[in-house]
Amino acid sequence: MKIGGPRLVAAATGYGRARMLKLRSLVFLPVLLAASCVFSRQDVNEPIEIAVVRSFEPGKTTAREVVERLGAPTEVVQLGRRTAYRYDCSTEKSTVLFLLVINFANQDSRSDRVWVFFDEKDVLTHCGTWFGTHRTQYALPWEDVHEKSDNDARDAERAGAVR
Amino acid sequence: MKGLLGSLAAWPLLLAGCVTGKYTHVSVNEPLLPEHMAALSPGTDTLGTCLDRLGAPNRVFEYRVGPDRTAGMALLWVWRDESGWGIEVSGAVKDVSGSVSYDQLNKELPGCVLWFSPELVLEGWRMGRIGELLRGRIRPSPADQG
Repeated sequence: MKIGGPRLVAAATGYGRARMLKLRSLVFLPVLLAASCVFSRQDVNEPIEIAVVRSFEPGKTTAREVVERLGAPTEVVQLGRRTAYRYDCSTEKSTVLFLLVINFANQDSRSDRVWVFFDEKDVLTHCGTWFGTHRTQYALPWEDVHEKSDNDARDAERAGAVR
Repeated sequence: MKGLLGSLAAWPLLLAGCVTGKYTHVSVNEPLLPEHMAALSPGTDTLGTCLDRLGAPNRVFEYRVGPDRTAGMALLWVWRDESGWGIEVSGAVKDVSGSVSYDQLNKELPGCVLWFSPELVLEGWRMGRIGELLRGRIRPSPADQG
């Protein structure tokens, strides 16, 4: 005697599948429960004061005055008879999302850089600047945090960053 | 059912952090854009105009030193904006622990170099991998000559 028919078999199979899906969901539940985030920030060197850098005058300011105002440079480069001093600092913001079996990490690093060039008499000839540490952001790896609007908004909050 | 059991069997390894997949994005410094570079004019632009347009470089090097110690200079910009998948496997065998990782971020960094004559006029520029751009840059030192 045949018990049930094609309909009953189909119903039983459907029930089994649903149960299996539920079990599988439970297996991956720890991924959600054990998820964690880490935010870290690393700053290298003291921030550079923009107003001080903008006060330098090529043809007038001397190497001695630059060192008196900014302190010791990170690097001194000999360029024949000329010299160049590098001042810099950087900020790095890192975000990591741990999901046990898979991690998502983002590292965003920007720097402030000032190069001052002197002639053989140690008088300033050129000054090159870039200020970017204020643009760093915590983000997940699929986010673009350096669109023009992002950068413009952050530049507006730091006086003198962009000439 | 076999798949379910397989998933459960993998948990001890995964929970112990022995095997992890990762997706990483690294962004370091702003890149110099091609349109910035296209606006440069070798023979006309000077150190001053280039610094005004491009901002401060990451590094400055001595270039073409003459017998009278006059020299030009080379300015280097370097940046990084990469993302990729990777996998990390770690464990311990007989008190020796170790970890092996592989990812797609180990590529050479892109950069740009501008060369200036001793008169500080732009001679030329090149974008590429910094390993290629700076090849043979360092002049021999007494220590190297041994």
